[in-house]
Amino acid sequence: MFQGPIIFGLTVNEILLAVFLTLALIFTYKTLVERDLVKAVVYSGGEAVSYALAFVVMYAPDLVLAYVAVGLGIYSALFLFVITRTERYEKEVVEA
Amino acid sequence: MMEAATLLWIYFYSVLLVTVFLSLYGVYRRPNVLKKIIMLSIFGDAANVLAVLMGFRKNAASPPVYPGQTYTEWSAPNSTQLQQFASAAVDPVPQVLVVTAIVIGLAVLIFLSAAAILLYRHYGTLDVRLIRQKIIEGGVEE
Repeated sequence: MFQGPIIFGLTVNEILLAVFLTLALIFTYKTLVERDLVKAVVYSGGEAVSYALAFVVMYAPDLVLAYVAVGLGIYSALFLFVITRTERYEKEVVEA
Repeated sequence: MMEAATLLWIYFYSVLLVTVFLSLYGVYRRPNVLKKIIMLSIFGDAANVLAVLMGFRKNAASPPVYPGQTYTEWSAPNSTQLQQFASAAVDPVPQVLVVTAIVIGLAVLIFLSAAAILLYRHYGTLDVRLIRQKIIEGGVEE
């Protein structure tokens, strides 16, 4: 069994998991405040990749295969398809 | 003074909960329907990671494929090897459940996207405030 080095009582996997979860939180905030929906789709793809890497360090490699294909591939393609059929920018409308 | 590991585990759960609440805020407060759908997908992702994190454990290690065996020669693992394996293995049950959740979430998002396209064809906009205005002006549609 392989555990890797221990740094300050923490395994490398725990430290990397904290990094990836923080990265996903930053991507979520960027998605929330973005008004251009194409950029929002790109940020949500980055969030999906961060969670896929978090699955790697949580010893769930079977989920990574499903998650990269679905979260980065199919979700982004689906949202971009919806944007081509509808509108791209989220408007700030003055309330009447 | 708590250990660094305890603080880090508290940090895992708090970051995930903040992500969940941020995505729910996006679902409630953003006016665009597609933005709501994107934030809903992020909510599902965060819930999946939360489930897998509950199966994760401290001092987890990458498991051997066959405990106590090699590929060429077979021998039953003794109790020490099994104990060692069970003390470092992560819980596989949430991981299996999450595979199902990913596929079901995909189906739900495809359905919502089709509904958003139909909404745009009917009202000419995806902004829920404008849609509400049009419904009020035009009366109740049959």
